[in-house]
Amino acid sequence: DALLASRRSYRSRPTHGIGRFKYLLPKEVPKKRKEKVQMKEISAGTEYQYGDINIQMTSHDLCLVEHFAQYVHRLCNRLSIRVNESYAMPTKTNEVLFLEERGSKMQLDAVLTTHQRVVQIRGLSSTFAPILLEVIQSSQPEGVHLLMKQHTEADFKSRLKARPELEELLAEMS
Amino acid sequence: SAAARRPWRLFGAMCLLRLPRITQPLEKEEEEVAALMEQIELERSLYSDHEMRKLEEEEQLKKKMESLYDEDEARGKTVIMAQDLEEKWEQKFLRFKAAPRITDADKSNDRTSLNRKLDSNLMLLVKQKIGNQELWLLPQVEWQPGETLRSTAERAMATFLGDHIQAKVLGNAPYGIYKYKFPKPIRTENNVGAKVFFFKAFLQSSDLSQAKLKADYLWVTKKELGDYLQSEYLKKVNRFLLD
Repeated sequence: DALLASRRSYRSRPTHGIGRFKYLLPKEVPKKRKEKVQMKEISAGTEYQYGDINIQMTSHDLCLVEHFAQYVHRLCNRLSIRVNESYAMPTKTNEVLFLEERGSKMQLDAVLTTHQRVVQIRGLSSTFAPILLEVIQSSQPEGVHLLMKQHTEADFKSRLKARPELEELLAEMS
Repeated sequence: SAAARRPWRLFGAMCLLRLPRITQPLEKEEEEVAALMEQIELERSLYSDHEMRKLEEEEQLKKKMESLYDEDEARGKTVIMAQDLEEKWEQKFLRFKAAPRITDADKSNDRTSLNRKLDSNLMLLVKQKIGNQELWLLPQVEWQPGETLRSTAERAMATFLGDHIQAKVLGNAPYGIYKYKFPKPIRTENNVGAKVFFFKAFLQSSDLSQAKLKADYLWVTKKELGDYLQSEYLKKVNRFLLD
């Protein structure tokens, strides 16, 4: 009798599918490894529309630069300009060494960090671009460098880290 | 029949802006908020490395004063104490002198110099002869067929300030337009009136020593424009000026 297992959950029995639970969990989208985003649009003609434009803000003061980036982002939202991305580049640390040569060489150190924030914009019409530039320029805080340039592949690649092992293997293969 | 348009004479004018060099002073509310935020941040913050070091050294000094410790106890005796460093930095700071915000030109109210009012935009005004009157205007020059309006404005700038000016014109589209009809005695069939198109440019370099200024010129802020320009002209010009 024990071998028969008469209480097996068979398809006609009401206990069919009693242990199922995976249909209750939220759907998991499989992770994409590579993201190669290269979208550029320049529609030439009488109605100029710039493609992707990067507004880069660099400064030594972290709070200032972040607040300014937030301000620019919100300004573009209000003016209904589409903002693609708003990201930060890695900070660069500089050590300033003073070599005072008055008999004994003294080395006074100062550590400076340079921060950079980028706001990427798309769909800027050429009649509106100088007005936007003027507004941003006039509200620029002290000590913040402003740079507006078109987005290139090199800019995109500078955010990614190089993988030396992968490159070595590729070099070995080819 | 041929298109009987009322022909207008076209002029291109350039509004040359000198950008502010320093920020404007804070308003009363802004200053209060800034002081409050600083106090909050100070009370919430933790000690930095330098301050920790200073506290430790003060404790060590106190212990030395009270009971004589052996010299072996003091591990890694620092040659430079944190207090000395602080004093050095303070002395350096006192030696530093910032440039004055209110320059000489401000005090003498010399409107022809560029060093005035470093915290606001300055615009170039030139005295020009139109018809019979001599008026203060933004530099303008008549448009010649075959050239773009932007190049007319650049030519206007060049005639009054010389050829080598480092100014960046913003875009090809004009910022404003002012049109007026000539007084009746001068009006002919071909010349009803004039339209002036305004363009904006930013002055890149603040060095105008090479400029050959021919006519009377002034650098004025937006508020002072009312002293010189006529009311109708002023209304149209004010529309495209940011403060």
